[in-house]
Amino acid sequence: MSATDSLAGSLNLQTGLRRKRQLRLALIWGLFILFTAWCVNGTIIEDTDWSRIGGRSGVLASFGRYIQLDLGLVSELILPTIETFMMACVGTVLGCFFSLPVAWLGAANVTPSRHILYPVGRFLMVLSRSVHEIVWALIFVSAVGLGALPGILAIAMRSVGFISKITAEAIENIDAKPVEAIRAVGGNQFQVMYYGILPQIYPVVLATVIFEWDINIRRSAVMGLVGAGGLGLLFFRQMNSFNYGGVTMVILAILLLIVLGEVISHYLRKAVI
Amino acid sequence: MTELTKTPSTPVAETWSRYRFPGSLYRFGSLLGVLVFLVYSLHFLNVDIPLLFGALGGLVGVVAERYYPPDLAYVTDPGYLATVVDTLQMSFLGAIAGVFLSIPLAWFSAFNVSPNQRLLFPLGRFGVISCRAIHETIWTILFVSILGFGMLAGVSALTMFCVGFAGKLFSDEIEAVDMGPVDAMRAAGANPFQVFVFAVVPQVRVAFTGIAIYTWDVAFRAATVVGFFGGGGMGWYLKRNVQQLENLRVGAIILSIIAMVLIAEFISGWLRKVVNRAK
Repeated sequence: MSATDSLAGSLNLQTGLRRKRQLRLALIWGLFILFTAWCVNGTIIEDTDWSRIGGRSGVLASFGRYIQLDLGLVSELILPTIETFMMACVGTVLGCFFSLPVAWLGAANVTPSRHILYPVGRFLMVLSRSVHEIVWALIFVSAVGLGALPGILAIAMRSVGFISKITAEAIENIDAKPVEAIRAVGGNQFQVMYYGILPQIYPVVLATVIFEWDINIRRSAVMGLVGAGGLGLLFFRQMNSFNYGGVTMVILAILLLIVLGEVISHYLRKAVI
Repeated sequence: MTELTKTPSTPVAETWSRYRFPGSLYRFGSLLGVLVFLVYSLHFLNVDIPLLFGALGGLVGVVAERYYPPDLAYVTDPGYLATVVDTLQMSFLGAIAGVFLSIPLAWFSAFNVSPNQRLLFPLGRFGVISCRAIHETIWTILFVSILGFGMLAGVSALTMFCVGFAGKLFSDEIEAVDMGPVDAMRAAGANPFQVFVFAVVPQVRVAFTGIAIYTWDVAFRAATVVGFFGGGGMGWYLKRNVQQLENLRVGAIILSIIAMVLIAEFISGWLRKVVNRAK
């Protein structure tokens, strides 16, 4: 008798829990849909001037301008493409150099001081990631002038956050035994770093750097929009002179460069890991 | 047994080093190649190397001199706060549209469950790669030139950005599923759509939710500059003040962007934790 009672009780409890869960799920979805509706109302209904867009034919006409390719631009594309690629490479390497000290400060087990420098390292990581590359480029263009240099610096600063975060996490997760062994046989601080820590974090860090390099190619392609050379500058010029076919050519060049980068990074990652 | 008793055929080197002869040569050679390429790039790009190192020290000076007392009264202005809300709305809509569009693309571009490996797989891959390849600012400029200034162009650009971002993460997640249920469904005669809905989706549901939240976080970061190229939101204020050389206001706007991105990151981290716990 009591056994069936408790069985019925637990069944009741289960249906009660299930109903509660369903209610909560329904509430979440309801809020989600309400919020979406609010956003749609704010952005698409109130803010858009539909008459200016000019209906479907207007959109198609403005889209059609991009389809007539400007093949005469090919010879002008080669140099900026190389520049963009080089900017990404140099920026990534410089970013690696910057992220070494940041990772050292921001890894809890090797940081020189837990209370002062560790938060500083963490803050630098967040700062680098939360400022968009365009904003970094704006700051550097105003600091060092036009040219490839502000682009390189902006890419480097933007890469620091991700590389140093992953590196710091890798340092925190190392196996302490090799470090202790090297210390026990009389290794100094540098030898501990070079032989104990570096081989353990090396594959992770290299894979991260390759990944970041891949992203940096697409970043360096837009640096020219705010005055820092490369394909972005050509894009900006074509757009401002209303040469839409040329714009498409620049985009095709970017696509080609990115596909090349993906292929290279795929093989590099295979070689590293 | 022989392996255990075999003596090393080469004598032990007197000084130990981490890399033996052929390996060390390849390593050294590739490192040298990279270095030569970097130096040549610096030369090719006309980079003034002393300026490069001077710029780092100079940066602190520039920031302190130009941007330092940030004009905080400017960013608490109601007009600016309204654009912050606009930015939030744009990023939210862009992330939702992007996530929904990227689910079929991710399904096509995951090799293991792709409905058609000859045709749809490369098509899906190409779609995701081209959305990812083109930077969000370029998408914004393109959409502004087609749809005109305003938030619609910004939302469209963010949608394309999110398709690329979420599509890649989704398809990676789908390619890592346990193939057992998939094979079972296939053996029972299910079509690719049924396989996707009943064998793949239950496995990746929680991961997808986490990725969707992360996508919103990244889209919010991108949304802060979409306005710079005419897509609506707070980027427009940034552009106006940069061009008017109102550096103190620019400093305040950048600070507000950092603060908001931090809040967004915190919210997305908390939500992802909740979703993972509800698993």
